[in-house]
Amino acid sequence: MSTPRDASGRMPGVAEIRAVPAAAWRRACLDAHAHGERFGGLFSHLPASGPPRLRAVFSTPAGERLITCEATEGAVETIVDVIPAAGWDEREAHDLHAISFIGHEPLRPLIDHHAPLEAWTVPTVGEDVHQVAVGPIHAGVIESGHFRFHVVGERILHLDVRLSYKRRGLETAAAGRSLGDGIAYAQRACAACAVTNTVAYAQACEAALGLQPDDHLRRARTVLLELERVYNHLNDISAICAGVGFAPGAMAYAALKERAQRLNERLAWHRFLFDTVSVGRSAISFDRQEAADARRELAAIGQEHQLVWRDLRFVSSLQERLEGVATLSAADAERLGAVGPAARASGLRDDHRIHSPHLSYSGFSVAVAEAASGDVAARTNQRALELHQSLELLDDLLTQPLEPGTVRRCGEEASTAVGRVESPRGVTVCVVVREGDRLAALHLRTGSYANWPVLAHAVVGELLPDFPLINKSFELCYACADR
Amino acid sequence: MSVAGALAGAVQVLGGVLLAPLIPGLIQRLKARLQGRPGPSPLQPYRELRRLWHKSGVAPFPRTVIYELAPPVVVASSLVALVMLPIGGRSPGWPVGHDALVLVGLLALGRFAITLAAWDTGGGFGLMGASRELTFGVPVEAVLLMVMVLVALPVGSTNLIALSDAAARPHVWGEPAHWAALLAFVLVMLAETGRQPIDNPDTHLELTMVHEGPLLEYAGRELAYLQWAAAARHWIMLVLATELFVPHPGPFAARLAVLVVSVPVWCGLLAVVETTQAKMRVLRVPLFLGAGGLVCLLGLASWFAGGGS
Repeated sequence: MSTPRDASGRMPGVAEIRAVPAAAWRRACLDAHAHGERFGGLFSHLPASGPPRLRAVFSTPAGERLITCEATEGAVETIVDVIPAAGWDEREAHDLHAISFIGHEPLRPLIDHHAPLEAWTVPTVGEDVHQVAVGPIHAGVIESGHFRFHVVGERILHLDVRLSYKRRGLETAAAGRSLGDGIAYAQRACAACAVTNTVAYAQACEAALGLQPDDHLRRARTVLLELERVYNHLNDISAICAGVGFAPGAMAYAALKERAQRLNERLAWHRFLFDTVSVGRSAISFDRQEAADARRELAAIGQEHQLVWRDLRFVSSLQERLEGVATLSAADAERLGAVGPAARASGLRDDHRIHSPHLSYSGFSVAVAEAASGDVAARTNQRALELHQSLELLDDLLTQPLEPGTVRRCGEEASTAVGRVESPRGVTVCVVVREGDRLAALHLRTGSYANWPVLAHAVVGELLPDFPLINKSFELCYACADR
Repeated sequence: MSVAGALAGAVQVLGGVLLAPLIPGLIQRLKARLQGRPGPSPLQPYRELRRLWHKSGVAPFPRTVIYELAPPVVVASSLVALVMLPIGGRSPGWPVGHDALVLVGLLALGRFAITLAAWDTGGGFGLMGASRELTFGVPVEAVLLMVMVLVALPVGSTNLIALSDAAARPHVWGEPAHWAALLAFVLVMLAETGRQPIDNPDTHLELTMVHEGPLLEYAGRELAYLQWAAAARHWIMLVLATELFVPHPGPFAARLAVLVVSVPVWCGLLAVVETTQAKMRVLRVPLFLGAGGLVCLLGLASWFAGGGS
């Protein structure tokens, strides 16, 4: 098999690095943006010595581009006016490493919880406008997040989201670890995307080390990623039904999710598929019989899903709640950098699985519904559509037994590489900077992180009691953002 | 006082006080079975009440007497409503009368007291629930009044005993107005008992609560009283539905038997509605109840068109 190379002759994932002085930061980022390169995250990092360092990831048709600069004066010009998707990234960099972004006014604190209320919320004034504060402790067993709604009556004018109540500093903790050990930090970012995060990390490490996975490793990771998508999508459809109090749908999909998680445990020894991905190898294997059993169970799950889904389509009281609620236009999704099912439900043909040469997605095409209306109904339908697609993929991947996978050397080593993997919530970007066998820096930007500001935008004008439903239609992860 | 009257009085008091929590318990159980779960025992509400009864109370600060008065007012109005309600068309001579309009007023008084308490403490979720409760309360009370008027028209009286006696006779069923009243009453029943598609009794999701919202600040015995009152409201609505809309001819014993059978049937109906219907968008609820009002108006029109037989 030939080594896939991108147009520039680099291994996929190895980033072209463009170091610029702080004064040229904005120009460099905007140039990349103007050339149609897609923004994938902005990260700050404080090396052991020297000023804080900024890194912005762009994906180009020719591969990954990393623009870096040293914030020598502690300030650079903002890019948020042209690339609004960088809003949270800049706010976070400011809170973490006191980097000022000139022109990002006001630069509201995001993860600094000592800031007074007026500093981190958008002032909303007018007759009968009031604030409703929800969380960080909620009525359900969910993660901690504080939502500050500015409302008139039941109508939402603006939402300020404050997360990071359980920030663990995983990226900082991972720095200095060996590349092999670093994967644990990427995994613990979040349980529901554990496979995605670890595959993104492993791919970045392998690209940096000049390694390329063999067929077994590709297939093992693809199986794990799709198993993760299946149980997540089943869970999300159940949550959407629960959000409108439609218990039969919620129960049926919760039962299906349980079956999917039991299958996870049988195939990969863990219900959330933890510890199934390593750098440079894979321990997962199954023989013909086990693969056939798994296919049978997945087919049964798929059949049951089709039946229940058909029933749900005919429950008018349910459909009525989903249609026309929290519509996200394709233009807004594009502008705000929405990813994953939420972006595809708005009509964006954006799924990183079609650009994944190191996974077994040959012949994959992006599933976008004909009526991609961008509302809660569209996001629900999108999940059902992708569920169907994932089950077909798995059926195909499990036709043959799987042996433990490995990698082979096929390229030069590089200092910096980017791993991008499509999670159930959107593309996850992992940047690995290495010094020999050690991690110099690890950056993780998950699909949830990209979509949180999009959710805040989508709820504007909606009814307050519809928020739990809208939130569930995005089904974003708190832990990913609190990494 | 006749034996039947004494027996009816016993059912009014003991049934209303002791059996009421069984109704939400039974509905929960039926719902769980319809969803393919074993579900909690129908006795679960009693366990909840016992747990709350033995807990110490916590009260918010600042608060005034309005907050403290709400549970007694709600319990008192529920108790009076319970004894106003005839059982099998009978009632001992409690000195509170049996006026249907007073019953509507008592239900409204309970709602008023609890929403006022939410204003008193000023908690965000309590106020949100209270404002929704009041928004729904306007059409609920209007439609309930119209139902009572429709039922009272053939009888010429708003005395609940007279209404029950009239409904016992089969000839009211030839009256379109009575059918209209039944239809509207079912909608009101869903709202008054706080069940889906209007409110979701299972959820404590902060942003969607209606009836649970104003109850958030209460704890211990005060919360137990309020939860009992919510159960008593189920009893009142279900018994009223039976007395006004289920044919129950014959002697008192037969009427009592009809009641014993019909209350669980109404529970089953509520469970089925709640299982098959998702919760409605909050601003649609007044329209939904308005449809009940429209049905009542049609009933009225048919009554007057028929010459008011």
